This record gives sequence, C-alpha cells and structure tokens, in this order.
Amino acid sequence: MIMTPKILVRLVAVVLLGVILQLSFFSQVELFHTSPDVLPALVASLGLLGGTMTGAVSGFSIGFLLDCLLVAPLGGGSLVLLSAGYLAGLFRERFEFRSPLLPPLLCAGMTLFAELGFGAVELMLGGSDTAVSSLVIRDMLIKSVFAFFLGWPIYLGLRRLLRPALVEEPALRRGSRPTVLGA
Amino acid sequence: MYRKQVRRRRAVLALLIVGSFALLTITYGQGSNGLQRGVSAIFSPVQSVASGALKPARDLVNWFDKTFDARGRNGRLQTELEQARKQAVGASAALAENAQLRKLLALDRGGAIPSGYEPVTARVISRSPTVWFADVMIDAGSNEGVRPNDPVINGDGLVGTVSSVTGGSAQVALIADGSSAVSAKVVPVGAQGVVEPEVGNPGELVLGFLDSTKHVHKGQAVVTAGWRGEGLAARFPPNIPIGEVTKASLVEQEAKQQVHIRPYADLPNVDIVQVLTGGSRE
Repeated sequence: MIMTPKILVRLVAVVLLGVILQLSFFSQVELFHTSPDVLPALVASLGLLGGTMTGAVSGFSIGFLLDCLLVAPLGGGSLVLLSAGYLAGLFRERFEFRSPLLPPLLCAGMTLFAELGFGAVELMLGGSDTAVSSLVIRDMLIKSVFAFFLGWPIYLGLRRLLRPALVEEPALRRGSRPTVLGA
Repeated sequence: MYRKQVRRRRAVLALLIVGSFALLTITYGQGSNGLQRGVSAIFSPVQSVASGALKPARDLVNWFDKTFDARGRNGRLQTELEQARKQAVGASAALAENAQLRKLLALDRGGAIPSGYEPVTARVISRSPTVWFADVMIDAGSNEGVRPNDPVINGDGLVGTVSSVTGGSAQVALIADGSSAVSAKVVPVGAQGVVEPEVGNPGELVLGFLDSTKHVHKGQAVVTAGWRGEGLAARFPPNIPIGEVTKASLVEQEAKQQVHIRPYADLPNVDIVQVLTGGSRE
C-alpha cells in the first residue's frame, strides 16, 4: 500500500468509524441472540488490502481504541487484533488469490480467531473464574457467520476507498491480460 | 532494499507486540486510567450522537430478531399450552371423578346401602341418544356379579335398575326411563307411592298413587320404600335417596294424588355408578 497523507487520513477515519459503529450499532443489535463483531473483519480486510504492516498497525489501533472506550485492560484487544491483521496481511503477501469468496471467508476465519484470542486473553488475565458455557462456542460461530456476510461489503468498500494506494492493478486483479507493446 | 523493508516490518511488528504486552502489564488491575478517561471523554459525545442517529436502524434489526424469536416462542408456547390444556382437562375429569367416588363412599359409609348388597362400581360407557329411552350402558356385567333388576345408584342417590346384562357390560334403565317405576316414600311424612318419569324431562319425576290424607310439602325428601307391587319390575332396597319434592300443590295432591320431585342424581350426566349386587330381587 502506498501511504500518502490522504490515505492515512482515510485509514484513521475508517478505524474511528469502525470502532464507533461497532460500539454504537453492532454491539447493540442482536440476531439469533448474538451481536455481530465487525472489527476483526475490518482488520482482516485492511490486512488483505494493505499487507502485514497495514493490518498489524490498524489492528493495534482498533484494539487500543476499543480497550480505551470499553475501559478494559489496555493491550489485550490490541494484541489480538494486530495478530489478526498481520495474519491477513501475511496471507495477501504469500498467496495469490482470485476467488471472490476468499475475503469473506478470511473475515469469518479471522473473526473466529479474534474471538478465541479475546477468550484466551480473558482467561490469561484471570478475569473469568467461573466455568465457561458451551454457548460461547455457538456465539463465536454465529459471529463468524455474520462476519462472512458482512466481510464482503466491508472488503469492497475499503478497496474502493483505498484504491489509489493499492499496489496491484485492478486489471490484473480481474485476471485480464495487460497490453504489451510490440508483441 | 527488500531485506530492509522486511527488517523494518518485523521491527514494527515486534514493537507492537511488545507494546501490547507492556500495556497489559502496566494497566492490568488498575481499573480506568487517565488515558482511558481522556479517550472516553473525547469519544463520548461522538458515541452519543452516533448512538442516537443509529437508534432507528438498531431498533429495526432488533425488531427482526425479536420477531423471529417470538415466532419460535409462539410455537413452543402453543405446544406447552396444548400439553397444559390436556393436563388441565385430565385433572378436571379426575377431580370430578374423585368427587363422585367420594359421594359414593359417603353413601356407603352413611348406611344407605343395606347389608347383604355388594356394590360394584362401574363407569357409564354409552348412553341412549334419544330422550325416549333413558338408558345407559355400564362397563360391569355378569362377570362382576351384575344381574338384571339390580339397583343402580351413584353418590347422589338412585339412578336406575339393570335391565339387561352381558359378560362385561350391562344396560341400565334410568329412573327417568319410561319403563321405570319405583316404590317410594316421602320422609318424614311417610306418605308412600310410586315414582314414575315424565318422559322427555329427566329433570323431573312424578310421585303418584299418594295417600291424599298425608300432605306432602315442597323440599321434603323422597327415598325408596323397599316394597314391590304390581307393575314394579325391581325391588329396591329401602331408604335410598331418590330426590326432593319440588311441586306439591294441595289441589294436585287431592285430585291426582301426585307431587313432582327432582331426582338427586344428575341423570343426563351420570358417569360413575354402583350396582348393588347380591340383594333379593323378588
């Protein structure tokens, strides 16, 4: 990703808007007794579009902001989401992908990873002394399904917003052959 | 160049991870700190505005969730209601049955059933659909010792008499049946007569052939007299309650020698009965 001040402002706006939307809207709605969590999908999409650095830094920022606004121990959310962003970025850098299903699948996978990560941090910090209900697994799986469906519009929206900074040409993305002079 | 980029990337990643752990270590167990309070103070107005603006959308999504939930709950509640209704109906029927059996027991203990009779409890399994034949079928027959002309009672009083018997069932002619005639007496007056039905009106019987010198009054009880005369198919044991006098005008008593009585037993709805077996039928 080519980082310009304009793109940086857009990224910051995306991070802020994502966190505010999550706290003001998605966390307060319920479908099938589960609230969607769009932040891992957002981080995964950023990582998929911008690479490891973009994914990790945006994940850290979103996690930090989330911890601040939720008055949770700082660092837990950052650690989890930066890992999700980094892994998504790593996938983008290591593998060539053309399937349109990949972004939503990766969003769903990263959401599951992030939810497990939040659980691990919570258990690590000793915040949950009581027995863990099996409903947690159901909740995680439903969140991942939501992320699958929300991941696609999030990915498309971000790609449109950050298009000037994306390294890969859209024509190559679509699989069309570039024109070669003299051939 | 590429290696430099990779090294820088790894350094940033390491810095972020170390930063996260450092933040966790520093802020764990402290509650809210100045940084969090500051960020919250900045974002609270924004969150408040966003929350207000997004409320309709939130309500819409939650409405869908609640609607789906309510539909599922509606199905569950319908099933539960059906089960509860079945249980309630079963319990009501059991209560009614219990009341009838208690009455029978009270009649038994009260000495209304004379010695020498063996009561056989039975349930009504079918009844005549017309008003002309006040008959019911019960689920006790000759196998249980039931014989023709055995008196049939329930907890309220006299019900009828066995008219025919098979192995496992018996037909009972109610006292409201056109063929029924029961020798009876009015207590405490002692006036005696024969109770006969008014066909088509199971709620009223006529006590006729009364001695006109003994005046009968409304509200007095009528019990079986225990004797058998011409035209009386069965001999009932004495002192089984039949009903109470509801209409006893002097004119009717003197001119027609009869009074009207209401049977104690709810004849159209009789359900559990006792057949008094083993007594003298002659």
